[in-house]
Amino acid sequence: MRIVRLSRRQRLLANCAPISEELMNDRSMRTAVFRARASDEFADQQSFDRAVATLVRSVPVPPEIGEWFSSENLVPRSKWKWKMAQNPAVLAVAIALAVIAGVFVLQFLEHRHDFPGAEGARKLLMVAASTRSVLLDPVRTDAGALGDLFFMKHQLEHYDVAPEFADFRTLGCRVFDDEEGHRVAQIWVIEKGMQFFLFPAERNAKTGAAVEFSGWRYVEQEGWTGVVQERNGVCFMAALHGREKDLAPYVSKTKE
Amino acid sequence: MLGDPRRAQEVFQATLREATLLCANGETPSDPFWFFRDARWRCLETSEHGLRAEDVELQKHDLSPSAPAQIERLDINQLATWISAAPEPQRTALALFYLDEFNHREILSLAELRIGELSRLLADGRRQLQAWLNATVPQKEAK
Repeated sequence: MRIVRLSRRQRLLANCAPISEELMNDRSMRTAVFRARASDEFADQQSFDRAVATLVRSVPVPPEIGEWFSSENLVPRSKWKWKMAQNPAVLAVAIALAVIAGVFVLQFLEHRHDFPGAEGARKLLMVAASTRSVLLDPVRTDAGALGDLFFMKHQLEHYDVAPEFADFRTLGCRVFDDEEGHRVAQIWVIEKGMQFFLFPAERNAKTGAAVEFSGWRYVEQEGWTGVVQERNGVCFMAALHGREKDLAPYVSKTKE
Repeated sequence: MLGDPRRAQEVFQATLREATLLCANGETPSDPFWFFRDARWRCLETSEHGLRAEDVELQKHDLSPSAPAQIERLDINQLATWISAAPEPQRTALALFYLDEFNHREILSLAELRIGELSRLLADGRRQLQAWLNATVPQKEAK
């Protein structure tokens, strides 16, 4: 004979186990029945109950009473009511779900224009926000001329400022390694306190090839906005403290 | 609950009449189990007036694997009489449970019982019914 050890509460619940599966809509009851099912005693109980219920169902219902219930459930299930919505627990769950949904919508809206390397660009916007001019080597020239400096001094190939921003006068520049060890060139220009960043484009994990994207892509982080273009495996980003509309006049109309 | 179809029908009609009156007065019961609660109390009230079985300590036997075969041989009126003779609140518990329309929480609410009480009433009811079955439909005969 199979015997199963049940807690006191599970024993109490197993004794009241509903005959029909659809009435087993309570988690603690389901757990108790699941455990009790392994015992012969419970199997006998269920066979016994089913046999009695089958006999009870055979009770003839007088036709005049049967008519009343021909189209109705015997037990009406309670429906959702406004009163239930006022229950603090229901209200708390509803608010929590609304907040979670809001976060998801916000995340979706934030990332819907994402492009390969957008996450790195956001980190560089944080760098831009915290950079002070004293950190950069003072260089007064046209931004477009710094591509040669980066190549000659730091062996950084294709680290060229986009033509749209090449004529801006610079205040300083530097080259540093980001958290992942990538070489990043940073340029500070006079125009609106703008900063330029040149950094390697995101690579395909399998092939190692740069993941290309076309046109200008915007990215925002903590009040800073950047506009990014990929060319020859290097991304160029122009960043300023402001909104997308402040950068839009500078980039060509080929933006996607 | 009553073991008597005629009295059961009277209770049903009285409950229906009460529900109709409440609805007509714009006092539709909000409790989804109002009908069952009302019918139950009317059954208890009705049975107070009729003949009542004497409360005796019934024998209890362990449930037998051949119980379903024994129950099959029963007449529904025999079972109805046995349940209606059970003392309250065991009678309500057995009637609601074997109606197979309510989950255990609903039975607790309708019968105004706690889980420990319902559990004991059902467990005792089964064992008493088994003892009665063994006396009424012996197992050898059932097989």
